[in-house]
Amino acid sequence: MSYESPIRDQLVTGGKTYHDVSSDITRPLENAPTKSWWFGFSISSIVLAIWIGTTTYTMLVGIGAWGLNKTVGWAFDITNFVFWIGIGHAGTLISAVLLLFRQKWRMSINRSAEAMTIFAVVCAASFILSHMGRPWVAYWPIPLPNAFGTLWVNFNSPLVWDVFAISTYFTVSLIFWYCGLIPDIATVRDRAKTKMRKFWYGFFAMGWTGSTRTWHRYEVISLILAGISTPLVLSVHSIVSMDFATSLVPGWHTTIFPPYFVAGAIFSGFGMVLTLLVVAREVMGYKNYITTEHLDAMAKIVMVTGTMVGLAYITEFFVAAYSGMEYEQYAFFNRAFGPYWWAYWTMMSCNLLAPQVFWSRWARTTPWFLFIMSIIVNIGMWFERFVIIVTSLHRDFLPSSWTMYTPTLIEVSILIGSFGLFFFLFFLFIKFLPSINMAEIKSIMHVGSDDDHTHHTEHHDKPVTEKGAVHGV
Amino acid sequence: MENKNQYWRGLEELNNDPKFLAGKKREFAEGIPLEDVFTEEDGGLNSNRRDFLKYFGFGISAVALAACNKTPIKNAIPYIIKPENITPGTPNWYASTCNACAANCSILVKTREGRPIKIEGNAESPVFKGATCGMGQASLLGLYDNERLRKPKAKGNDVSWETLDAEIKTALAGSKNIRLISGTVNSPSTKKAIAEFTAKYPSTQHIQYEANSMGALAEATKRAFGKAVVPGYRFDKANVIVSFGADFLGTWISPVEYTKQWTVNRRPENKNMSRHIQLESYLSLSGSNADVRYPIKPSAEGAYIISLYNRIASLAGAPQLGTMPAVELPLDGITTMAKELWAAKGQSLVVCGSNNIDHQLLVHAINNMLGNIGNTVDLNNYSNQHYSDDAAFETFAKELESGVVDAVIFYNTNPVYSYYNGAKLAASIKKAKVSIASNTNLDETSENCQYNAPDHHFLEAWNDNEPKAGYFTFTQPSISNVFQTRQMQESLLNWAGNTSNYYDYLKNNWASRLSGETWVKAIHDGFYIQPVAASNTSFNADLNAAVSPAYSVYTTAKTKLELKLYSKIGVRDGSNGHNPWLQELPDPISKVCWDNYACIGNATAKELNIKDGDLININLKGSKIEAVPVLVQPGQPNNVIALAIGYGRTSGGKAGKNVGKNAYPASSFMNSFSFINTDITIEKADGEYELAHTQTHHTIEGRNLIKETSLNEYNKDNKSDNQDTHKVIKEQGNLITLWDERDHKGHRWAMAVDMNKCTGCGSCVVSCNAENNVPVVGRKEVLVSREMHWIRIDRYYRFSNATDNKITKEDDYNKENSGINFENVSVTFQPMLCQQCGHAPCETVCPVIATVHSSEGLNHMAYNRCVGTRYCANNCPYKVRRFNWFKYRANDQFDFNFNNDLGRMVINPDVTVRSRGVMEKCSFCVQRIQAGKLMAKMENRIVKDGDIKTACQQSCPADAIIFGDINDEKSEVRKYFENDRSFFLLEEYNVQPSVTYLTKVRNVGEKLVNT
Repeated sequence: MSYESPIRDQLVTGGKTYHDVSSDITRPLENAPTKSWWFGFSISSIVLAIWIGTTTYTMLVGIGAWGLNKTVGWAFDITNFVFWIGIGHAGTLISAVLLLFRQKWRMSINRSAEAMTIFAVVCAASFILSHMGRPWVAYWPIPLPNAFGTLWVNFNSPLVWDVFAISTYFTVSLIFWYCGLIPDIATVRDRAKTKMRKFWYGFFAMGWTGSTRTWHRYEVISLILAGISTPLVLSVHSIVSMDFATSLVPGWHTTIFPPYFVAGAIFSGFGMVLTLLVVAREVMGYKNYITTEHLDAMAKIVMVTGTMVGLAYITEFFVAAYSGMEYEQYAFFNRAFGPYWWAYWTMMSCNLLAPQVFWSRWARTTPWFLFIMSIIVNIGMWFERFVIIVTSLHRDFLPSSWTMYTPTLIEVSILIGSFGLFFFLFFLFIKFLPSINMAEIKSIMHVGSDDDHTHHTEHHDKPVTEKGAVHGV
Repeated sequence: MENKNQYWRGLEELNNDPKFLAGKKREFAEGIPLEDVFTEEDGGLNSNRRDFLKYFGFGISAVALAACNKTPIKNAIPYIIKPENITPGTPNWYASTCNACAANCSILVKTREGRPIKIEGNAESPVFKGATCGMGQASLLGLYDNERLRKPKAKGNDVSWETLDAEIKTALAGSKNIRLISGTVNSPSTKKAIAEFTAKYPSTQHIQYEANSMGALAEATKRAFGKAVVPGYRFDKANVIVSFGADFLGTWISPVEYTKQWTVNRRPENKNMSRHIQLESYLSLSGSNADVRYPIKPSAEGAYIISLYNRIASLAGAPQLGTMPAVELPLDGITTMAKELWAAKGQSLVVCGSNNIDHQLLVHAINNMLGNIGNTVDLNNYSNQHYSDDAAFETFAKELESGVVDAVIFYNTNPVYSYYNGAKLAASIKKAKVSIASNTNLDETSENCQYNAPDHHFLEAWNDNEPKAGYFTFTQPSISNVFQTRQMQESLLNWAGNTSNYYDYLKNNWASRLSGETWVKAIHDGFYIQPVAASNTSFNADLNAAVSPAYSVYTTAKTKLELKLYSKIGVRDGSNGHNPWLQELPDPISKVCWDNYACIGNATAKELNIKDGDLININLKGSKIEAVPVLVQPGQPNNVIALAIGYGRTSGGKAGKNVGKNAYPASSFMNSFSFINTDITIEKADGEYELAHTQTHHTIEGRNLIKETSLNEYNKDNKSDNQDTHKVIKEQGNLITLWDERDHKGHRWAMAVDMNKCTGCGSCVVSCNAENNVPVVGRKEVLVSREMHWIRIDRYYRFSNATDNKITKEDDYNKENSGINFENVSVTFQPMLCQQCGHAPCETVCPVIATVHSSEGLNHMAYNRCVGTRYCANNCPYKVRRFNWFKYRANDQFDFNFNNDLGRMVINPDVTVRSRGVMEKCSFCVQRIQAGKLMAKMENRIVKDGDIKTACQQSCPADAIIFGDINDEKSEVRKYFENDRSFFLLEEYNVQPSVTYLTKVRNVGEKLVNT
């Protein structure tokens, strides 16, 4: 008996031709924006305005506009920073790691996932800037030759590692994304009817001809960039986690942090990808490109990473108990049963318990349910960072300094506003750039061959299952 | 083909005529002499296009930069003629006297470029020994109070002194019954000036009135010993101290002097320590430092004193007082106390804080029986501090009301605010034909008077004081007058027709004793001692009259709710209520600032169904104090509400205006002013109120952060409760570090904090504020835990029940059936400041190296480099780093002294004022270290131990802070580091702190160490 792995479902359904793909995917670019786009864009612009207003206010008045205090020096700011950085990870994972593993199902989602990465890093970077007491000297943690004398950065500080990690991450992600866009921009250029469109898309297409040589280079650069990006998936969030892990704050000083943070990042990133795609495929009419099978695959990743994160939570508790360190023990006890217990249990239920529903295929393939779940995952992961940062800081070594942290309206507005920034950029992206990689999608279509699986039975002796898998050959 | 034809311009060229050749060099007849301007060194005239572009670019950018420059120009104008003795950058010190309260401590005033910037105790003073209290430290800010009266006022209008004098003289001349109401006057020259005034206006009666009166003590001394004085107490000679509600370490008479004395006998290294027993109706600073503390109802105080008297009388074989049954404290407290006192006859001391003549008389009698008179109770070197003639003032208030008084003069006193019936007094003042006030600010009394003759701040004035009999301390101005004010003494003399200035008057008054060199020396030293002739005093008073009122109040009030008025460490009687440093100084016990509140015991709160943050109305007879916030206070006796006086000011300065509630209306007059009210009811008021705490968790949660032991255990083992010191951990090799050990050569600055001596008074906090330009942030910011103090005093409670005397976990003491009597609490103070760690966690995480380690063991903070990530503060296990959340200077949101030009005069020019967005913290007063090293260098010697004192150390009245060079083997701090009581906080983290703490040793029988 030999085993033939089941033939998978078509990754693109609906019997699309190459022309269909081009016209489907460039439709939003070439036509006037739809009402729903305008709706979404207007809302995000308004929210962005809130972000601009509140961030500017903070920078004018001082960090005192927030609820931080002598004991809790970071709260919403760094929570949001880590949250957004984490969101970005799914993009890189999808585009780089899945490319290396030749996972072709990624092709219809990698473009928007990468865009999401870039916009998420922009949001994260905004928090690095705004959390500083003196944002006008924000470039000082960069090791620039300077005229200040012998001043240099502190390479022992995880914040300096962060500077490197995040700037590298942003640069590589941007280049990777842009390289992937070139053939598609060229397609848009070729279809363009106005001079302006021809000029601008032509400019960004960088003279793409579609010759074999350019395709070859395209493939090579994609692989190289994927190779560079892959370690970044692990390194960026590991380094972010070291902001905490290398400190001595009980609840932060934990060796489990790097893998735990990476898993959490992928978890939250896929949550965000789901949020975006479930909506996008509905609004943009991409259901044939982003099929329920894509959703299913992503839901599985969400479940696995969610469980990994949950394991990490429990492991931390075990280690705290086993360590015999009273400060460590108290920090974890305080997380679960202290004044911020609600944040902890929100995190636990959203990140560990909720994703367990994905054992059911229905849950994995029902878009509206996935949408709700993706929001839950995002809430849970935001709370994870809040729990780690605030509950560890607010009660550390000396009980005399224990205090509570309450966010101000400004902080909440900046958090909400950062979503405005994100979606503002995302709406611009889907309006002006092809949000699905047309070139790659075309490579996995079976145009010309028959799309109907039932015809294949003629060539097989053995019965074919409902889904087209052939057994026993 | 080359053109070989040559053409000449003339024969001169052909002939190479030298004249022609010279002219040929210049094509044009007369050139600009550029060569002369540009020398070869400048590159001569060989400029090329690059140079042109360079200069052009430079020019453009210079112009652009100049155009962008909006930096306000602030001119620092140098002295054209250097004043004598002023060298910019070098401080001048003047010996003077503190007038913040009537204790009149001798001080030194540090001035820079002619402005006082810091007050220190005068270490040469044999009485005060060089310390200050928080209020004394803060009084400096009063000099730069932007709301001080700037000019004399007549009926609300600014007038000149000449006009004012003329009007007042006319008015006084036509007045009968003139009353001069003043605060304590213990200045001989002032008394003489007043006498001169009285001679001119014979109907004048001078009445001394103090808000927080000690009048009963003087009256009792008069009845007992025939002298109307406050005795001089000697806590340093007392081995057993029993205090009936006298907060002698905090607010009673002369707390700095007493704290200095008290600490003398608190050294366990001597194998013996004084035993301090406190009976009190609220948790005072003294009570929190006592070895044994009994919470009692204020109405029971008399009965306890009588019982103690009777117990001692039976030991002494003297007759008993009264026939009432003895009142006993838990665990036979009174009996034990009597035995201990009797055993320490002549070396014991009983004091009483109540302004009650009977109680004070009984306490005198007890001290007399114990043979303490002449030993610990000195009637020769008696005290002139805080004298108040309560009965005279009460009479005056009645006279004023009846309209008998024609003219009233208020000098350095504010009875409209502090008198129990201030509103009526304010109305009565209007009845007088002439009313004059001489205070520094327009306070409640001044604003009701027709004339304001604003007095100098004491730092602008000349004076002499005699706080203790025979001890004279001089006040000399350390700045020229800030405003058009005049010393009240001078005003009085002027009105009496003597136009002499007060300095001459003072000097003449002393001329018989001090002149020439001796006068200069006395002014230089700041004090002068004239030995007092010893006189015999004998106790002679009838005590029986005191017995039955004491018992009757005890029995009638037994289960009733009572109100005890007390004064808080910072604001005290409220006269400095407008001082933001004092308002922001957290109460040592409650850690609340910017408010007073009703302290209620746990059991009573439960019974009345009120909790922290509730508001209550306190109903008095005929009036009420409305909406007082509640603080459930451990150590507070049941059925007693304690409320601080000194709050609820309605004028005098914005920092104190409407802060808290005025509690004075609850006081009363019963032979003397009484601060106990047994006739109250309370009701819950609507609403809630959050008090601004600087510490919101009150126990150590069973952590190994403070160490305490009993004297017995300590005498058995000096390392008692301190077995796990750094050394032991190190020997076991459990400390691993990733960092290289630092090279500790040269100086290595370190500090020792003796928790056994620290009383928690907060003097160091205010001193640090003044020295290091720490901004005031206000109540709202304290509510969100953003106070900026570089040094704080952590206060921890410990509870006990029948089985356990170390209950410190919130879950344990909050249990329903914890079995804890919250009336009993053990308090420990732990001053907390930057520990200047050897392996500082803050240093490794700063991305820009803004916080660095110095070669002398200090952890520096480079404000200019800080970008404000706050990572260092998060990683600081001691949480001593403070972030500048806002711009705290020149910002209307923080309308305190940093928001006006005058207030900013207090800034220490040696310390950077931090900008918004940077981190700051204790620097171990690095500016003082540098100054000390510089001084040594100029004198060509090495730094001596004691040359450098940090601000907190210098002001500490308990000598609990010791600073020095740990590498100096003979240094005091080194001895403390080698002491068996020495331990480091969180030493297991191997951050290698440079601050060591010393185990607290309590002189108690119970075992404090779990073995």
